[in-house]
Amino acid sequence: MELFALEHKRLWRTTRVWLCVVLCFFYCVIYTGVISYQWTYFGSEGDDPTNLYSNHFDGYSMIRTYMARADTYGDYWTDETLQNLVKDFQTMIPHTSLSSMYDWTVGLNALDLYEELEDPGGQQYQPLIHYVDTEDLTDFYTRRQDYLEHNLKVNQQNLLLTDEDVEMLREMDSHVKTPWRYEWTRGWEKTLTSTLPMLSRMAPYLAIVLGFLFSGEWHDSTAPLLHTTKYGWKKLARVKVLSGLAFAVEFYVLIAGGTVLLQLIYLGTNGWDMPIQLIKLLAVAPWNMLQAEIYELAFAFLGVIGYAGLVMLMSALVKNNVLSLVLSLAFIYVPDLFARYIPMWAQDAMQFIPMVGYPTDIFRMNIFHIFGKGVWLPWMSITIPVLIGVICLPFAIRSWARRERV
Amino acid sequence: MELSIDRLTKHYGHKIAVDRVSATLGPGVYGLLGANGAGKTTLMRMLCAILEPTSGEVRLDGKDVVGMGPAYRDVLGYLPQDFGYYPSYTAAEFLSYIAALKGIPREAAGKRVKELLGMLDLTAVADKKIKTFSGGMKQRVGIAQALLNNPQVLILDEPTSGLDPKERVRLRNLLSEYAGDKIVILSTHIVSDVEAIADVVFVMNKGQFLVHGTVQELAEQVRGRVWELTVPREQARLWQEDFTVANYRHEGERVVLRIISDEKPSDGAVPCEPILDDAYLYYFGAKEA
Repeated sequence: MELFALEHKRLWRTTRVWLCVVLCFFYCVIYTGVISYQWTYFGSEGDDPTNLYSNHFDGYSMIRTYMARADTYGDYWTDETLQNLVKDFQTMIPHTSLSSMYDWTVGLNALDLYEELEDPGGQQYQPLIHYVDTEDLTDFYTRRQDYLEHNLKVNQQNLLLTDEDVEMLREMDSHVKTPWRYEWTRGWEKTLTSTLPMLSRMAPYLAIVLGFLFSGEWHDSTAPLLHTTKYGWKKLARVKVLSGLAFAVEFYVLIAGGTVLLQLIYLGTNGWDMPIQLIKLLAVAPWNMLQAEIYELAFAFLGVIGYAGLVMLMSALVKNNVLSLVLSLAFIYVPDLFARYIPMWAQDAMQFIPMVGYPTDIFRMNIFHIFGKGVWLPWMSITIPVLIGVICLPFAIRSWARRERV
Repeated sequence: MELSIDRLTKHYGHKIAVDRVSATLGPGVYGLLGANGAGKTTLMRMLCAILEPTSGEVRLDGKDVVGMGPAYRDVLGYLPQDFGYYPSYTAAEFLSYIAALKGIPREAAGKRVKELLGMLDLTAVADKKIKTFSGGMKQRVGIAQALLNNPQVLILDEPTSGLDPKERVRLRNLLSEYAGDKIVILSTHIVSDVEAIADVVFVMNKGQFLVHGTVQELAEQVRGRVWELTVPREQARLWQEDFTVANYRHEGERVVLRIISDEKPSDGAVPCEPILDDAYLYYFGAKEA
C-alpha cells in the first residue's frame, strides 16, 4: 500500500502530467463548457445572426429566458400549443438571432408532420415555421402517430428495429404520465449530444500520461536500479498498473465532475425525467434524460478505464516513450483513418475499441448486425471496451515482469 | 558469507564481454580495476543478477543468486554506472521510494533515510529536487540508495565518478567503515580510489581477470620495473615514445620521468618504490590505460 501511495504520488509529480490535466480541463470544462454555455451555444436576442461568436456573453441569463418561455406553453401539448408556439416565433422573427432560433427545435420538429403546407411555389427559402398559417396546424396527434407508423415500418423493413423496439416506440406515450408536452430540450440536447461525448477527448492526454508509465523507466535509466530492489520488477509492475488506474479514475472524476457541475450551474436539473425521444423521435432507448446522461457518463468512464489498460500495455511492451505514445494514439486515430475503407462489420467492431465508440450511439437506431439481425446493444458498447482494457492489464504486468534482466 | 563466481561468461554475439571469470569473495572491500570496455560493468550486472550470463554462475553461500531472487536482492545494494533517478523527486522522496521498493518498513525507512542523508552530507538539500543537483550530489544520492537496506553485498559501479576530491575521501572512509563483515565490490578506473580502501584488487582486461591480489602484492609484482630518470626537457618526449611513463615532473630545466620497464631504461635510471598505479600501467601500458 505504501509503495502504491509513493508510486501514485510520483505519477502526479511530473510537469507533463500536470500540464496534461490542466490542458484537458481547460479544453473540456472551460472551452467546451463555460465558453460554450455562456457565449457561443445559447445565442442572445438581437445579436448578429451570421456570426456565432458575435453573441453577447450572456448564456446564463438566456437559458433562463428560454426556460421561462417554455413554461408559458403549459404541461399538456395540444394543437393550440403548437399554434401558439409558431405564432410567437413568427412575431419574434425580426428580433431573434440565428442561434436562439435553435431554441425552437421542438416546434421545427413538430412541423415535419405538416409537409404538405410547405410553400407550393417553392418561393420561400425559409423553414415552414416562418410562414405557415397557424390555423392549419391541427390534428397533431393523428399526424404524429401516422408519421411514427410510417417510420417504424421503414426501419423495421431495413432491419434497423426489432419487434420489441417497434412495440416500445408505438406505445411510448403510455410509458409516461404526460404523453406529450412542450419542454425546453435544448439544454439536454447539448449535454447529451455534445458536452458529454467531449469526454472522449481525454484520450490523447491519457496516452501522454500513462504511455510513459513503464517505458519511462528506461528513459530515466532507472531499470538497473529497480531490478535490484527486493520487490523488484514484478511487484512494481502491479503497483504501476494500480496507480495508472487510480490516475485514470481521478482524471475522469475531475473532468467529468467539472462538466456535470457546469451543467448543474447553467441548466439545473429541470427536465431530467423527459424521454430522450424529445431529442430524437425514433431513439429506441427507453430512457429519460437522466438515465441517458448516466449511460453516457458510464460509457466514458469505462472507456477511460479500458483505454488506460491498452495504453499501459503499450508502455510495458516497448522501451521507448515516443513509440509507446504513438502506438497508444494509433488505437484511437488509425480506426478513424481507415473506417471508410473497411467493411461495415469491421467498422462496427472498431466501435468496441476503448474511446473510439461514441456514447451518442444511443440516439442511433440499431448499430450492430448479428447474423443478419439488427440489434441495439448498449451494454455491449460499454462493457467490451472496458473488458479489453482489463484483459490488457495482466499482459502489461507480465510483459514488464518478463524483462527482469536488463 | 561467501560470494563465489564460477566461470562467468557473457557473449554479445561474437563479442566476448566477460570470459570465464572465477573468484571467491569473502567479507572485505574488492576493487575492480580496468580500462573502459574491460568488462567491469557487465561483470557487475551479472553479480547483481540483472544480466543473464551466457554461462557460469554466481553463488552466495552456495546458492545460485538468480534462483534466490528476492532473498538475494534483500541483501544486495547496487549503484549502477549510469545512475537513473526521478528528476521531479527530492532526495528524501527518492530515497523513501527506493526504501519502499526494498521492503523497508516505513518508520525504519524514515530513520535510515535521515541517517544516510547525514552520512553523505545531503541533509541540507534533502528537500530539493534531484534535477537541481550537481553530478557529485546525484552520485551521493545513488550511493545512499545502495546503502538503504544495509546490504551484505554492496556493488558500486564507478562510485567516485563526478565526486570532487573531498567527496572521494569521504566516500572511501565511509566504505571502509561500512565494510566490516560485508562484501563490498567497487569498480573504477581511478587507481587511487582502489588503492586507498580495497583489500583485494582485480585487474580486468578484455573480459578476464588479468591479475589479482592485495595492493601491496600487485605493487610488489612490478618491483624492479619502476625507474626514475632525470632528463633534459627537450628529450622527455622521446622517452615517452619509447617507454611507459607513469609520471612526468619538472625540476627546473630538467624533467623527472617515472618509467615502467622490465629493463633498466638508462644508466642514469634509479629503481624506485612501486605503487598500484605502476602495476596498473605495467599491465595495461600507458596508451591502453
